[in-house]
Amino acid sequence: MNSQAYRVKFWMCFIVASVATSLVPFFTSSEYILRIVTVVIFWIGMAGCWNIMSGYTGYIDFGPVVYFGIGSYATAIGMTKYGMPFFPSAVLSGIISVLIALPIGITTLRLRGAYFAIATFAFAETMKQVVLEFDRTFGVSFFQGSHGITLPIGGHDNTFFFYCFLAVTFGVILVHYGIEHSKFGYGLKAIHEAEGAAEIAGVNTTGVKLRAYVNSAFFLGVLGGIEAYWITYITPGDVFNVHKTVQMVIMTLLGGMGTFLGPIIGASFLTVLSEILGTAFVEYYLIMVGAIIITVILIMPRGVVGTIEEWSGIRFH
Amino acid sequence: MDTVLIQAIVNGILLGGVYAAYSAGFSLIFGVMGVVNLAHGELIMLGAFTSYWLFQYFGMDPYLSLPFAMIFLFGFGYIVQKYIINRVIELPHIMSYILTFGIHLMVANIALKLWTHDFRTITTSYSGANAAFLGLNVPYARLITFFIALLVIGTLWFFLSRTETGRAIRATSMDKEVARLMGVDIREIYAVTFGVGSAITGLAGAAISPFEIISPEMGLQYTIIAFCVVVLGGMGYMPGALWGGMILGVAQSLAVTYLSAGISVAVTFFILFVMLIVRPTGIVGKGLVT
Repeated sequence: MNSQAYRVKFWMCFIVASVATSLVPFFTSSEYILRIVTVVIFWIGMAGCWNIMSGYTGYIDFGPVVYFGIGSYATAIGMTKYGMPFFPSAVLSGIISVLIALPIGITTLRLRGAYFAIATFAFAETMKQVVLEFDRTFGVSFFQGSHGITLPIGGHDNTFFFYCFLAVTFGVILVHYGIEHSKFGYGLKAIHEAEGAAEIAGVNTTGVKLRAYVNSAFFLGVLGGIEAYWITYITPGDVFNVHKTVQMVIMTLLGGMGTFLGPIIGASFLTVLSEILGTAFVEYYLIMVGAIIITVILIMPRGVVGTIEEWSGIRFH
Repeated sequence: MDTVLIQAIVNGILLGGVYAAYSAGFSLIFGVMGVVNLAHGELIMLGAFTSYWLFQYFGMDPYLSLPFAMIFLFGFGYIVQKYIINRVIELPHIMSYILTFGIHLMVANIALKLWTHDFRTITTSYSGANAAFLGLNVPYARLITFFIALLVIGTLWFFLSRTETGRAIRATSMDKEVARLMGVDIREIYAVTFGVGSAITGLAGAAISPFEIISPEMGLQYTIIAFCVVVLGGMGYMPGALWGGMILGVAQSLAVTYLSAGISVAVTFFILFVMLIVRPTGIVGKGLVT
């Protein structure tokens, strides 16, 4: 498919999808449905962030949740300690995430394979422990440790958060658009195929990786900020929870890594599935998630998108 | 030097030996197959529970249950590798990370279903007994486990360097294509490697059961420690587990003594992070680099 036709098709789909999704609150009076749709959109954004970095380059980031957590805490502290309004705090969350992602990215992106995965994981766990223990160790009251922070309740309904998440998730999708069929995207994919060769061919590999990493950190930070305000109570154990990382990874993998539709399909499927399983089989939920992960990896290692492409011969991107 | 410092270092070394024992299997599995086994902690958990149930029902001393834990986990690991992980071993490594995470979720939560959230301990006649000399206290159980750990690593080294199967495993880790040409059945070797890795890990799990809390959810924290130990010592380099274990054990023990227990975890990860950036091949520089 040539680039021009792709652009037209993308914008058509994007506009139809965005109008359709934006209208959801007008068509449902059920708070339950609206909440589930909001959660789906939230996870599409999260999984998309992971896909930007790891899906396209094959660098497995096991610590993306760290930027989500940093974002949550930035918003929480901004709003409670400095009395900032919500929107500036959420944007500030993204900026702080970027400022932290830059030095971390520059150092860790030199590592490859399992080493990068472990380093990012270690960084996420370090931050969690630091936030957890900072106050007690230094005798101050800043992060509130394991007590968590309660955010001011703004009196917004679910529709408000629906649109907040939707805006960020659209941002993430537009980054994906920027990746497909652009020099930046070809750089990322070249790194996935053969990093050494890409470097010789003139791709500024470190620069491209860093750009993807920082992009995903920004959106994760903002998502963290919004989620904190939505939930109104955060603890380090929650916002830095390794299961958030795992969920991002699994959703992307399920949908298809390094594909445009992957995170969208994976996040929708898994959120709805866990909603059904989680209510029907509360006690066996995690066992089933484990079984699903194993089954998906064994049966369709390329994810839903990859498998359909293989069967039908149609390429989605 | 004051007694507090020496005591902290002694504690650290004892801890380090144990760390080494349950990380050696992780290093072996990574070194040979490139699989980062996220279900590693569950192997320890299963080993500890084997020991716990044998103690509970047959009154067997935890140290006598070691061979049972070892045999049980060899079988478990062999089957998991042969029928599950082997199927994705040719795919990108990420598949195996996520697959083992799926195994972690399943095993931990099935165990949780069977054995509940309860924290369990094994209380033997020598629990809490200390050997005291020169003003230092050394718990007997930890001392015994420390020596078992050294013995395990020694035996593993012997197995890898002096037996036919051990040589086949090392050959496979060096170059699997050439090993295949030499008549090594790669998939069988993978299954045996995972089995051996699981067996020593399960044994270590049984060996820590006299003094650690046993619960179905204990796994993940051990996986994380095994990560750190193996990176510090050098991934895939067997004696490195001993180095890594000692460094981490002493560092944690000093952090607990002079800072606080909570911050010692942050110290662990900080050391890990810096180590990866500065020296990814481990402290003696013999780890594998991908």
